[in-house]
Amino acid sequence: MAQVENPARERILARIRAATRSVPSSRTAPDARPIFAPVSGPLERFRAECAANATECIVVETASERGRALADLLGGIPEGEIFAQDSPKVRRALALSGTRQIRWSSEGAPSENSQAGVTLAEALVAQTGSVVVSTACGGRGASLVPPVHIVLADTSQLAPDLPAAMETIRRNGTLMACSSVCVITGPSRTADIEKILVLGAHGPRRLVVLISRESD
Amino acid sequence: MNAAAEAFLREAAATAANGELHQIVRKGVEHYDAAVERGRARFLDWEAARQRCRKIKREAIDRLDLYLEEFERRVNERGGHVFWAETAEDACRYVTDLAARAGVRTVVKSKSMVSEEIRLNAALETRGIKVWETDLGEFIVQLREEPPFHIVTPAMHLTRRQIAALFREKLGGVQTEDPQELTAVARRELRRAFFSAEMGVTGANFLVADSGAIAITTNEGNARLCSSLPRIHVAIAGIEKVIPRAEDLALLWPVLATAGTGQAITCYNTLVTGPRTASEPDGPEEFHVVLLDNGRSRLLADPEQREVLHCIRCGACLNACPVFRTIGGHAYGTIYSGPIGSVLTPHLRGLAEFQHLSFASSLCGACAVVCPVKIDLPRHLLQNRRNAIAAGLRPAQERTGFRLWRWAMENDRRFTMFGWAARFGWKMARRAGLAGTALDPARRWTKAREMPEIPRHSFRALWRKTHGAG
Amino acid sequence: MKEVALFIPCFVDQLLPEIGMDMARVLQRAGCAVNFFEEQTCCGQPAFNSGYWQDARPLAERFVRVFSRAEAVVCPSGSCTAMVRRFYPDLLAGTPAAEEAKRLAERVFEFSEFLVNVAGVTDIGASFPHRVTYHDACHTLRELGIREEPRRLLRGVRGLTLVEMANAEECCGFGGTFSTKFPMISAAMGETKAAGAERAGAEYVTSTDPSCLLQLDGILRRRKSQVRTIHLASILARTEADGTNSGNQE
Ligand code: SF4
Repeated sequence: MAQVENPARERILARIRAATRSVPSSRTAPDARPIFAPVSGPLERFRAECAANATECIVVETASERGRALADLLGGIPEGEIFAQDSPKVRRALALSGTRQIRWSSEGAPSENSQAGVTLAEALVAQTGSVVVSTACGGRGASLVPPVHIVLADTSQLAPDLPAAMETIRRNGTLMACSSVCVITGPSRTADIEKILVLGAHGPRRLVVLISRESD
Repeated sequence: MNAAAEAFLREAAATAANGELHQIVRKGVEHYDAAVERGRARFLDWEAARQRCRKIKREAIDRLDLYLEEFERRVNERGGHVFWAETAEDACRYVTDLAARAGVRTVVKSKSMVSEEIRLNAALETRGIKVWETDLGEFIVQLREEPPFHIVTPAMHLTRRQIAALFREKLGGVQTEDPQELTAVARRELRRAFFSAEMGVTGANFLVADSGAIAITTNEGNARLCSSLPRIHVAIAGIEKVIPRAEDLALLWPVLATAGTGQAITCYNTLVTGPRTASEPDGPEEFHVVLLDNGRSRLLADPEQREVLHCIRCGACLNACPVFRTIGGHAYGTIYSGPIGSVLTPHLRGLAEFQHLSFASSLCGACAVVCPVKIDLPRHLLQNRRNAIAAGLRPAQERTGFRLWRWAMENDRRFTMFGWAARFGWKMARRAGLAGTALDPARRWTKAREMPEIPRHSFRALWRKTHGAG
Repeated sequence: MKEVALFIPCFVDQLLPEIGMDMARVLQRAGCAVNFFEEQTCCGQPAFNSGYWQDARPLAERFVRVFSRAEAVVCPSGSCTAMVRRFYPDLLAGTPAAEEAKRLAERVFEFSEFLVNVAGVTDIGASFPHRVTYHDACHTLRELGIREEPRRLLRGVRGLTLVEMANAEECCGFGGTFSTKFPMISAAMGETKAAGAERAGAEYVTSTDPSCLLQLDGILRRRKSQVRTIHLASILARTEADGTNSGNQE
């Protein structure tokens, strides 16, 4: 794209500098008061939060049980394309789902009428019952376009709270490598009509998290 | 009085008498209040959270130039474009030119108060571009061809019946009044728009300096669709939206959600750092951020009111405001309504035209108690009032009235005399049968209220009688 | 014996003198020696709130001068108390009176907080056998942080049943000149509040601010409501000997 002339930049910055030049330093002693109670028992907390925010959370022992749970789940989903993050873990899990028509993220974006998106997660957040996904998890549309989003995860991915999850993201350089990261908490929703909660506003109506206690 | 002030008085008086609207708004606010109470209970220390959020915003606002430059540098490194707009026109021109160059015919938009502020839809539409508001509430008010009623809940003033009738009229074939089904109707309609639009426009709740990311918060997922499906993504944000670090979001997200809707955290908190990368299956090819000044740097130069730039547009002060609940969002005649609107609008659009809003408050202070970044809104209303008087914007007779009043009050004998005369005058007026008529000197009080019985003696007279002269 | 100087807001002096007298009675009964400085007029709040800080300032300076000799100042209005304690520092910043104002701010008390927190009284021996609801006056609650003191005093009154409104903390809509600048908004807010008092099933609504009561009395009487208004001081001034009926604004 051609570079657009932007002389306003210098003028705005100059005004900001003039306006803040005499601002006294606001450095105050760090505030150590805890804001949230610490999370104990992350898995239990995660499940409780999921129940509260309408995420379906299924906990199993092993990765292969997780694959079978996925197959069960997909059995209840209407005919049509399943969009899946192209990764060995997801391929292994989906191998148990037999003959479903699968579109892999390596083949492009999910189609408008794909029936479910199957992805991994960057992290899970116990404190809020959230799933953190990035564009590495099958792109932007995988967790968004299909009416059902299914996440495959294991308990080692549980961050106790949001600060810990953000720390994980920083450590893994996720924001450097990916053009987008999203903290997802429950299925898409709206309350714009008389404050009545309706699920599935624009994004998925169902969010399912399949967690195995063993990591694979 | 200017046109804006006259319109305000007219509209406010009309909605103040609209009991049906009060019912709807009150129901919404009660629902919200209950949710916020539950939301706050999740915090061990809500006060500490407010304090910390204020500190984060203060840190950014006090060194705004550094953080904005850092943000810009990182966006550029990732292949995004940053445009600095001094005015609403500059911002609109950038977006419309970009759309024209790329041959855009359809734009999908997620909720963005800044885009309302710059009137982007009108600018795009005059270039023949179709704009779809995709937030359900915004979609509804767009169909009604009216501005949002509330900065967080745009269709707060409507019942499902009204929305159903609207859909029936504008979209055809809608037979239901069920919110679930009405939402499904909008979803179907908008899905088509999402998949055909060439450009998505979003706001940004935060600009994260250390990551060069914009952070967008929505429940519906529409902002994600806007920033994922079309070929071009444009995010528009006020320059005050910058925060230092991605880690700050770990607190700002739950606080924004709690203050905004009472949720523990909003459904989708999305970070976007740039256009799709080579290895990604989808996402826009172009990513643009428009940084809007439009009066903000001037506000920054006001040390008394700089903190108004801390606002995270959660809408809590609107819900808490008894004036807002009485007159509704439209009466303000401004994009930002409620306490924050009354404080901010004179800075963005001129004190001369919008000073009246700062007087339309009982200064009850309920807004300051709920503001998650602790903006002292009533103080700023008082300062705006003072500034309006200093700028000579109030009627001469008010000015003279206060000068006279002060002269009377500067001496207790004069005070006693004037007080006696006023009570006597009122009694005479009443005896003459003026009470409640157009000639009633207290008409502005008595139109909707009774006057108290005027006592024979003042306190000081009674005191003298019982305790002797001081 | 504690010496207190009465701070009688200008509109109480002229329109609601009985509230001042009742406050003086209660303070005396609480064991205070009560003075009234006749030089006092207005604290300047109407001008300050209307933006006429130039006109408010000389009155604030005058107020500080008049009360400089007082040991403690007690006021039957939370709003006027807040003017001195919370807003004088803004208004007088940078003037020679600033220091004296700061010292005075520490000695100015709203009536109920003075009784409970300074005089240490929660039962003044009053009797008022009625169902009463307490309206949290905005400045009393949010500028001075007084929520429990008036309620504790009310609970100490013989025969009084304290009932709470769902919207006890909501503004009554008075707001000084706001009430006549925007009469329609102000009155609609008053109606909402009045309806809350009616729903609570109260016979009386009481408060720590006579201006709120002026507004509510005007609204309630226009609605032909059964609910009446009475200032906290007037409730506390009633004893069993006074009989049962009476409110200050009947
Ligand atoms: S001023 Fe405070 S309460 Fe009002 S919208 Fe802004 S952040 Fe929220």
